[in-house]
Amino acid sequence: MMFGCCMANPEHIMGVVGSYPLLIALWLLPLLGAVLCWAFGPQLQRAAGWLATVIAFAAFACTLASWGAGTQSLNGALGADQPLVRWMPGFHLGLLLDPLSLLWACIITGVGALIHLYSIGYMEGDSAFARFFAYMNFFLFAMLTLVLSDNFVGLLIGWGLVGLASYFLIGFWFHKPSAVAAARKAFVINVAGDVGIMFAIFLIVQKTGSIGFGNAFAAADTYGPTLLLAICISLFIGAAAKSAQVPLHTWLPDAMEGPTPVSALIHAATMVTAGVYLIARCAPLWSHDGNAQLLVGTIGGVTALVGAVLGMVQWDIKRILAYSTMSQIGYMIMGVGVGAYEAGVAHFFTHAFFKAQLFLGSGLIIHALSNEQDVRRMGGLRKRLPFAFIAMLVGVLAICGIPGLSGSFSKDAVIQGALDHGHPWLYAVGIVTAGMTAYYMFRMLFVTFFGRYRGDVDPSELGIRHPEFAGTAAHGDADAHESHHAPAWLMNVPVAVLIVPSIFAGWLLYGGANSPWHRFFDPQFGAASILHVPVSEMVTTLVTLACVALGILIAYLRYGTATARDNAVERLRRETVGMWPILTNAFYIDVALDAIFVKTSEALGRLVSRVLDPHVVDGAVREAAITAQWSGALVRSLQTGLVRAYAVFLAVGIACFAAFYAFHGVH
Amino acid sequence: MATSFSGVPIFDYEALASVLFFIGLAGAIARRNPLVMLMSIELMFNAANLAFIVFSRAWLNNAGQIFAFLVITVAAAEAAIALAIVVVVFRSAQQVDVDDVRVLHG
Amino acid sequence: MIPFWIIGAVLVISALWTVTARKPIYSVVSLLLNFAALATTYLILHAEFLAVMQIIVYSGAILMLFVFVIALLNSGIAPILLGRDRVPVAPAAAAALAAIAFVATAIAALHAPAIVPIATHSPLGAVGRGNVFGSIGDFGQALFLSRLLPFEVTALILMVAVVGVVLLAGDLAPYVPTRRRAEQARRALREAILREGK
Repeated sequence: MMFGCCMANPEHIMGVVGSYPLLIALWLLPLLGAVLCWAFGPQLQRAAGWLATVIAFAAFACTLASWGAGTQSLNGALGADQPLVRWMPGFHLGLLLDPLSLLWACIITGVGALIHLYSIGYMEGDSAFARFFAYMNFFLFAMLTLVLSDNFVGLLIGWGLVGLASYFLIGFWFHKPSAVAAARKAFVINVAGDVGIMFAIFLIVQKTGSIGFGNAFAAADTYGPTLLLAICISLFIGAAAKSAQVPLHTWLPDAMEGPTPVSALIHAATMVTAGVYLIARCAPLWSHDGNAQLLVGTIGGVTALVGAVLGMVQWDIKRILAYSTMSQIGYMIMGVGVGAYEAGVAHFFTHAFFKAQLFLGSGLIIHALSNEQDVRRMGGLRKRLPFAFIAMLVGVLAICGIPGLSGSFSKDAVIQGALDHGHPWLYAVGIVTAGMTAYYMFRMLFVTFFGRYRGDVDPSELGIRHPEFAGTAAHGDADAHESHHAPAWLMNVPVAVLIVPSIFAGWLLYGGANSPWHRFFDPQFGAASILHVPVSEMVTTLVTLACVALGILIAYLRYGTATARDNAVERLRRETVGMWPILTNAFYIDVALDAIFVKTSEALGRLVSRVLDPHVVDGAVREAAITAQWSGALVRSLQTGLVRAYAVFLAVGIACFAAFYAFHGVH
Repeated sequence: MATSFSGVPIFDYEALASVLFFIGLAGAIARRNPLVMLMSIELMFNAANLAFIVFSRAWLNNAGQIFAFLVITVAAAEAAIALAIVVVVFRSAQQVDVDDVRVLHG
Repeated sequence: MIPFWIIGAVLVISALWTVTARKPIYSVVSLLLNFAALATTYLILHAEFLAVMQIIVYSGAILMLFVFVIALLNSGIAPILLGRDRVPVAPAAAAALAAIAFVATAIAALHAPAIVPIATHSPLGAVGRGNVFGSIGDFGQALFLSRLLPFEVTALILMVAVVGVVLLAGDLAPYVPTRRRAEQARRALREAILREGK
C-alpha cells in the first residue's frame, strides 16, 4: 500500500532520478556560508550575521523553487533524486527531495532564516559573533544533509553532524562550566543514539545488501518479525536520543545553556524533531511491525506526560519551554509511532512555528531583562514589553490548542490518530497532557506578564536559595549586553512574521480527506487502515477543549486572580519551598542514569585501571619487551664477529640443505 | 648413462671433489691467517668446479662447463676484493688476524 | 685408471699442504700444484677450454695476486702477527656434521635412479679434436650463442669487482676532506680493531 513506487523500479530508487542543481545549491549553500563566516569572521565582523542570514534566505528560496521537483510523480516514483556518489552496487549516495523532506527543508531553511535574522539582534556585541553564525549555518547544512539524504549512511552522517553543531552551540559560551557540561552531556547521549542507528544500518545492509531507503523499504515484508523489530528498536534508540524521549531526554533541559536563538532553532523547531522525521521516513518498516508501533507510541505518550508534569514545576522560562518541547515531541512521536504519520508530521509543522515563536519571545524578555530567566523574578511585563506579551500569548494559545490556532488542528489529529489506530490509553494520555500543557503555559504567562514586577525583590523572599540551581544565574555574556535596552526591530520582525503561521498554519489540515495537507502527503504515506471508532473528531476536540479549559482555569485560580497577583511574592515563596523533591529532581531520572551508566562506567574504569591495565596490558607489553631482550641477547651471542664462526654457520646451513635433498631426492 | 669413463666411476671423481671441498672447508674454519683462508676458499671453489665438470662429462651437456666458467669468474672477482680488504685492514691495524677484526660483533 | 689415482693423490696432498703450511707463501706454491693437477683432470674430462682457463686465470692471475699481497704485507713495518690456530669445539663438531651430510648427499645423488643425459650437443671424441664435446669450438658456441646472457653477467660482475677494489684499496683522500681527517679515521679504525682484539 505504501511506497508501491519502489516495486516498479528494479533499483528501488525512491525519487525521479535526474539532475537538480537547485537541490544541490540548497544543500551546499549553508556549508559555503559556514566556511565563509568561519574563515573570514574577523574581516566580516557584523557582516557575518548578514551573510549567514542572506544565505539562509537563499536556501529557503531554493527550497521553494524546488517545490515542483519535490512533489513530482512519475511511474510511481515520488519526488526528486539527485545521485551524488556511486560507489558499488547498493551503496550509492544521493539527495532525495520528496514531500516529507521538502516539508522539513522548508522549516529548516524558512524558520532557520528568520532565527538567523533574530540572532543578528540577539547576539549583537558578542565577542564571537561570526563564530556563532558559522555554527548556525553549519547546523543548517548538517540538518539538510540529514533530511535530504536518500540513504541511511547519508542520514547517519547528517545525524552525527547535527549533534556536533548542537554541541558547538550549546557550549557556545564555553567560559561557563555549566554550558560546557550541558554540551558534553547532549553530545554523549546523542552519540549513544547514533550507535543505535548504526546497528540498524548494519542489520539492513546485512539483509538487503544496500544502504538506500528504496531498497530497504521495498524489502520491508521480507525481514521477518524478529529482525524487523530489532531494526525498529535500533532506529528508535537513535530517534529517542535525538528527540529527547524518556529516558534519554535529560540533555534537553540542560541544553538551554545555549543562546536562546539556538534553543529556538535546534532544540525546538528542527533538530529535536529529527526522530520524528526518521520514523516518518521509515514508515514502511513501522507499518509492518505492530510491536514496534506500540513501543514507540507508548514511549511518545509517556514522554508527553512526563514532559508536561515536569514543565508544571519549572521556574526557568527556558526550561519550561524545554519541557514543553519534550512533551510536544512526545505527541509527534506518539503520532508517527502509532501510524498516524500525517498527524505526527503536521504537529511537527505547527510546533516549529509556535515553539520557535515562544522561544524567540522569551528571548525578547531575557534580552530586555539582562539575561534574567527566572519567572519568579519577572512579573508585570505586559506593560513593559507589550510586543513580547502578544507574541507569547499567541504562542501559548497555539500550543494549548485553542480552536482556530495552529496547535489545535495538529494536536487533535494526533490524539484522534492514537484512537483510530487502536490505542485508547494513548488517547487518554494525550487528552490529559493537553490539559496539563494548558496549565503550565498559562502559569508561565500569568507569572511572567501579570501582577507586579519582582525583579527588585530579594531572591530569598521568593524562596530562591541557590540561584544557580533554580536557574536564575546570569546567563550569557553579561558584559556583552547593556541592561534594559529595547529589542531592536531585527528581533521583532522575525517574531511578528512567525505569528502568522502560528495562527493560520493549522488550517492546512482543515477539510479531512480534501485538506491540502492530506493531498500533499497522500502519495507519501498512502491511506492508512484505521479502525472505525465511535468517537468522532468533534467529540475528541470537545473533550480536549474541556481539559484545556480546566487547566487554564486552575492556572488562573492559582496565579491569575487579583488576590493571587497581590500575594505573588509570598505565594511563590511557599510554592518554591513546598515543592515535592521528586518533581524538582525530575523524577530522579538523571540520578538513575548516573547510577546505572556513569557509576558503573566509573567502577569499570577503576577496575581496568587497577587490575587490567597494570597486570594484563602493561604486563603483556613488559613481557614482550623482556622476551625481545633475552631473545636478542641469545641471537646477539651468535654474532661473535669471528669470520670463521660465520663460515661454520654457513657450512651447517649448506649441510642442512644437502641433508634435505639426500633424504627427499632432488625432484 | 655413463656411470664411468676411462674405467673410473663417477663416484670416485665425486669422492675426490668431496675430499677437496672438506679440506678447503677445514682450512677456512681452522686457520686465522686471512690469506690462507682465502686460498682454502679457492680450494672449495675448485672442488665444486670439478663436480660440475664431472657431471657435464657424464651427461654430455656443456652447461656444467659454462657454470664452471662462471665460478672461475666469480672466484677471480672475489679474490680481488678480498685481498683489497686484507690490504686495507692491514694498513690500519698493522696485523692480519681475522679473529681480532671484530669491531662489529654483537 | 692409474693416471686418475696419481692425480687424485697429488690433488689431496697438495690441498692438505695448502691449508696446513705455516707460511702463506708455501700455501701458494702447493695451491699452484693443486691447480695444475686439476687442469689435467679437466683435460681428461674433455673440458679443454676450462683446463686452459684454470692455468691462465687461477695459476697466472689469482695466485700471482696472492703472492703480491704477501710480498706487500711482509715488506711492512711489522711482521704479520698470528697466534696459534685454534679450532673451536662446537664449530669443529658442526663441520663434522656438515661433512657427514655432504657425504650422505653424494651417495644419495649417485644412487638416485633418474640421472639421464639431458642433451647431447656434440659427439664425444678424442681430446684435442674439433667439433666434438668439450672442444674449444663446442664450448665457444655454447658460451656465445645459447649462454650469452650469463656471459654478459660475468662481465658486469668483474666490472663491479674492479670498482670495489678501487674504492677499497685506493687512496682515502678523495673521500675525506683533509689528510688530517683521513689520518684520524685510520687511527680510530686501528684503535677499535686493537681494542676489540683483546
